Amino acid sequence: MELDAIAKLVFDILAFSSIMVLVVLGLAVIASMMGIFNLGHGEFVLLGAYTVFVFRELGLPEWSGMLAAPFLVAIVGLFVEATVIRRLYVAPVIAMLATYAVGLIIRETVRGLIGGQFYSIDEPIQGFIQIGDVSLSAWRSVIIVVTIAVMAGCYLFLTRTSFGLQIRGALENPMLARASGVSTARLYAFTFAFGAALAGLAGALMVPLFSLSADLGLRFLVQAFLAVMLGGVGTFEGPVLGGALIGAMVPGFQWLRELPLLNALIQPIVAEVLVFVVALIIVKFRPQGFVSKGRI
Amino acid sequence: MADASLPRPLRKQAPRSRFGVIPIVEWGLLAFLLLYPIAVSFLTAGDGPVDFDNFWVIRITTILILAKLAISFDLCWGYSGIMSFGQGLFFGLAGYVVAKFAEELGWLQIFFVVPMGMLVGWLAALLVGWFLLLGKRTPTVIFVALGTLTASYAAERLVGGWLWVGAGNGLSIWDFLMIGSYELEPGLAFYYVALLLLCFAYLGSRYLVRSQFGLVLAGMRQNEERIAFFGYRVQVYKAIVFSVAGMIAGLSGALYSYHEGFVGPSSVGIVTSTYAVLYGLFGGIGTLIGPVIGAGVIELLRLFLSDIDAIKNYWPVALGVIMLIVVAYRPTGLLGLVLSERERIGSFGIVDRSRTRFGTDSRSSQLKTTETDDGPA
Repeated sequence: MELDAIAKLVFDILAFSSIMVLVVLGLAVIASMMGIFNLGHGEFVLLGAYTVFVFRELGLPEWSGMLAAPFLVAIVGLFVEATVIRRLYVAPVIAMLATYAVGLIIRETVRGLIGGQFYSIDEPIQGFIQIGDVSLSAWRSVIIVVTIAVMAGCYLFLTRTSFGLQIRGALENPMLARASGVSTARLYAFTFAFGAALAGLAGALMVPLFSLSADLGLRFLVQAFLAVMLGGVGTFEGPVLGGALIGAMVPGFQWLRELPLLNALIQPIVAEVLVFVVALIIVKFRPQGFVSKGRI
Repeated sequence: MADASLPRPLRKQAPRSRFGVIPIVEWGLLAFLLLYPIAVSFLTAGDGPVDFDNFWVIRITTILILAKLAISFDLCWGYSGIMSFGQGLFFGLAGYVVAKFAEELGWLQIFFVVPMGMLVGWLAALLVGWFLLLGKRTPTVIFVALGTLTASYAAERLVGGWLWVGAGNGLSIWDFLMIGSYELEPGLAFYYVALLLLCFAYLGSRYLVRSQFGLVLAGMRQNEERIAFFGYRVQVYKAIVFSVAGMIAGLSGALYSYHEGFVGPSSVGIVTSTYAVLYGLFGGIGTLIGPVIGAGVIELLRLFLSDIDAIKNYWPVALGVIMLIVVAYRPTGLLGLVLSERERIGSFGIVDRSRTRFGTDSRSSQLKTTETDDGPA
């Protein structure tokens, strides 16, 4: 196998992992902060992707849509939190059903707006980066760099700022945080919006790699769920690790088809389903996740 | 209901009326459904000859079939706390299997199709239930919800890309269901067959949730840990209920694919699963008749809304709004409007031996409720 092909595979895996990490991070932040598993998270990803589409339809460049997507989706998240989720903190299971309903509303609205079509969106930065003999897709490099920057930003924000300290405090012991004068309601609203923004960013960044359709969100919800289950909830590293692994499995299984023996065995569609099966089996035999601390 | 063996305060607190709301709804609905096709045929006939196989009979047959799916979801969530977002998996899988049998072998007999559908649903649910419910650790509601969702989604993707089962186009069934040598076309005869099977499914489920087995389920809803301390293997009970629910969903799916003459990836996937959840939540979870009503109302709504040109593309949004309202404001669903809290929470009529009273635990009474027994003890 040539160096070029290996580099391309590794790069694909890194790019897909980056997207998954962004999605999963948003999901895990909400889940560990409020104990609510946001079943509408996939639709936040979809909204991010859709924002880019709308900006393009308006004649604006794609990159402006990608910049705007996290903020717009955060506003949607804030709205959802204030109108629906806030009243259901006491009953996480009911809140979960409510988020599913919110996701259904978003999904069907977008489906109505784009009319059940598939749209492809161009990469804002096209072309390749040449390193020696290896040429790497420029857009995928951007995704990887942005993800690393966001992760580093999150980490610094959580560990270095006083607001981050409040979040960690509320995560550790909400009662004590409230007693110390930290407004957990405000923190929760912020966290939800932040999680939504991460999903929106992921959606906006990945839409050139996939095509835009209304069912895009479901795929990310399912994969993000598996990633959270793989990684374990309650830590920063766990879901990130899980997301990276799930993200790696998708191009990984596709690549397995290039081996002569497996080509006939693994159809393209089987490769995708195999990801779910393998992840569920791992979860079955290691239910506490890779990095165990708490469970949702 | 004079019962000397009851402690005095209990007898004072609970003067149970002979007739509750649920039996009235049950009998009323049954009477309506029995008479409906005849009545609607004569009403829509006008001057022409009476056509018993008209549009309105056929559409309500679909609802009768989907009502079984709704019951299967209710058995999971309303009666045993399994948040199943994957009822569509059993529904669609059974549909695919019977469609494949029809295509390859031409096996169309109802006495084969219905048991086959049930078997497929049961086995699939057993597999999924074993995987998600039975394990070293007790699974959380969220794990089960997303696990079933994942299974359903994966199945949808798989059949959507698999040429042998028609890939994205699904499978069509060109023949009709047979009873002996009689062809069961969608229409009056199919209507009554669907109604009969719905009654079987309903009565079977009712027997299950009111038996001693159902008593354990009721205990689980109240306090899962305590029931576990009594020595019941809670997860095994859940897995049993889940597999029975899968069986009913399979029955529904087998009939559905014959009635519509078609089964596609969306029957297996999220769409059908979401509808199952909606029927149950909207109708009123924790009562068996609630989901049947929910299926009826939602399907009629779908029928009318998807016909209006202005909102043709957007009407499923209404389903999301309904779900949101029900979940956030009216967890008891439609039936909760007419049902007293006492009857909804209910009590078990295990006569004279172990009359159990359930308090209204503020947490669990929101969604998890028990069927009541209002017949003369």
